[in-house]
Amino acid sequence: MKAQRLPLAEAAASAALLTAVVALWWAASHGGWISRVFLPTPEATIASLREGLADGELAAFTAATAWRMVLGWLLASAAGVLLGVFIGVSTTARAYLQPMLEFIRPLPASALLPLAIAIFGLSPAMVLSVVAFGAMWPVLLGTIHGLASVELRLQEVARCLDLSRAAYVWKIGLPNALPDILAGMRLALTVALIVSVVGEMIASQAGLGQAILLAARSFRASELFAGIVLLGLIGLASNALLALAERQWLKWQRP
Amino acid sequence: MAEWGARLRPWAVPLLLLGALELYARTVAAGSDAIAPPSAALVAWFGALRDGSLWQGTLFTLGSAALGLLIASLLGIAGGLLLGLSRRADASSTLTIELLRPIPSVALIPLAMLVFGFGLRMETAVIAFAAFWPMLILTRSAVRQVEPRLLEVSRVLGLSPWQRGWKIVLPACVPRLFVALRLGVAIALVVAVTVEIAANPHGMGYAMMIAQQGLDPALMLAWLGWIGVVGYAVNALALQLQQRVARAMGGAP
Amino acid sequence: MTAPLLAFDRVAITLGGREILSPTSFEVARGELVCIVGPSGCGKTTLLRAASGLVAPSGGSVRRNGVAVTQPSREVAFVFQDYGRALLPWRTVQGNVGLALEAAGVPKAERGARIDGVLAKVGLAAHAHKFPAQLSGGMQQRVQIARCLAQAPLLLLMDEPFGALDALTRHGLQDEAARLVHEDGLTVLFVTHDLEEAIYLGDRVIALQSNPGPGRPSLARMLEVPIPRPRDQLTTKEHPAFLRLRRELFGFIEQGHG
Repeated sequence: MKAQRLPLAEAAASAALLTAVVALWWAASHGGWISRVFLPTPEATIASLREGLADGELAAFTAATAWRMVLGWLLASAAGVLLGVFIGVSTTARAYLQPMLEFIRPLPASALLPLAIAIFGLSPAMVLSVVAFGAMWPVLLGTIHGLASVELRLQEVARCLDLSRAAYVWKIGLPNALPDILAGMRLALTVALIVSVVGEMIASQAGLGQAILLAARSFRASELFAGIVLLGLIGLASNALLALAERQWLKWQRP
Repeated sequence: MAEWGARLRPWAVPLLLLGALELYARTVAAGSDAIAPPSAALVAWFGALRDGSLWQGTLFTLGSAALGLLIASLLGIAGGLLLGLSRRADASSTLTIELLRPIPSVALIPLAMLVFGFGLRMETAVIAFAAFWPMLILTRSAVRQVEPRLLEVSRVLGLSPWQRGWKIVLPACVPRLFVALRLGVAIALVVAVTVEIAANPHGMGYAMMIAQQGLDPALMLAWLGWIGVVGYAVNALALQLQQRVARAMGGAP
Repeated sequence: MTAPLLAFDRVAITLGGREILSPTSFEVARGELVCIVGPSGCGKTTLLRAASGLVAPSGGSVRRNGVAVTQPSREVAFVFQDYGRALLPWRTVQGNVGLALEAAGVPKAERGARIDGVLAKVGLAAHAHKFPAQLSGGMQQRVQIARCLAQAPLLLLMDEPFGALDALTRHGLQDEAARLVHEDGLTVLFVTHDLEEAIYLGDRVIALQSNPGPGRPSLARMLEVPIPRPRDQLTTKEHPAFLRLRRELFGFIEQGHG
């Protein structure tokens, strides 16, 4: 989604549309078209944001959620790549495990929360474990797929050059899998955020998830919207950073 | 003989794991509130089937997912067509879309709760939000990826914009739209279960939560397994549909 | 008398129930450039892959320096026809050539000079830091050739290396290949469907025919090319021996269809 012939004009149009949307929001909330119980005014939202961040509570919650997401995501990515390499290089392992993995793929990660609560009780570690476990699958599957999809010709080149198994994985398998791994990591980030939020909601862990749930229950719409904005920002920032890293590492795709 | 081996292989590891779990649950973790042997889970599943709770829960989840997906698809495809065909609309909406899209759908659960209370509408609203974005973006790129040669042909033949959209663009997009739909189905189902786990006291996710809170691990595992089976089946059906459409429309991806 | 570098001793290959190559025997001496021609489906690529060890013969044996070939080895370099697929897209030209040296365990300090040397030989020194996607087809094929040369192989196997390129590029690369071979004294087995290319480049031409069977061996003709070197795109193709060979093999290849 890049601006094309007249970048200035189109940036202006973009800004204009956004302003129009915000204006609509302002009008709807001030004009009472939608009750202020559900739709706070933009100013009220900003005020809640400012208060919450300045007082420290919202900042701490944001940090807690973000940290949970990032840590779980990092663990998931490392485990996913490692396991993925072990499974991906062995046709036998793939034959035995792939169907089971394909069954687990559509399972919502949050569905494991009740089981985890039953086993581990309500604790930050419990939420983190489900975040990591849930986020691991896209990375694992991406790694396996990337390793399995090495061009036949490249496999033959590796045979002709007499590359060891380890050298093959490091020099050919993993670089070939990198686009798939990164795509999996992007998905894993989304899963990590979702499970973090849901985990906080049902396990009463301090974070934005719990904060917005409480705000809704107390009919404090502006605080609710402030929380939603912050969650959106976490999503935006994490995705943008990953996209940046991806662009750097996959430079060869667009030389 | 080899064919038998190939048929049984996908089941080897899962059955092994289930067997290990069965053994573990019956010995080391006997009487636990958290773990139950798979055989007990199977019994619990039949129990849910008999007393109707299985269908009730499953139907609710599938129904809300379908409704949410329907809304998301109508809006997403319409929006995607607009963005794909009009460069101006596309350029001006980029900023707004990129700011709204990253909001995790689960963040809207409390809002939906506030507005709709509990029930079908609340869940459908969250699902619609979640599934809308991929439908929008994939439709847009489907339109963008229509073979430029076909568009040149439409110009040479002097087709009106309406004819162009209806006779060339839309049919050319259909295979990719079904790919998007398949993705939408997966997302809708996942979000549905997630909403039920987080808040909504209906459907499969909630049934599983209740079982866990009621210290009934067998029933909880039964629901967990059933959610997996339903998810797998729905995704497989969506894939079949998508492939059938792709074949019927000339094998486009 | 020295043992031939490569010897095919009644090598037969059956794949998927179909006989691709009937028992075929021939020898390649050190320093020779032998071309293999034939219509599509005659098994010339399969023959080449058997020479490298990528494919195991169903009957007979392939021997290199007297030792049976059972699997690929670094002594043998293989230039694939689909050069785009045989290069690592995530590595630069330098990186791709370096892969051969890394595989051979050449110490890091030496690699740079050897890569530069080989790139200079194929005329790609100026493009060392480009990615394959930034190169034309001819240049990509030269990268592959450079990587094969970096292996310092005893035997170079080339599978229709210039088939996917335009005529001008093809002629240029043919002359380059001939020069490289005779500079470095390489032994080359060169597969092509282009008869003129085979006669132009080869010391010997082997013609294969498709659908082998009893009374119809895969190896139909083996002819010497008595045209002196260095050869030239214009005059060589008017040489009487060239025309004679061309007529003899052309009529035969036309029959071979089928």
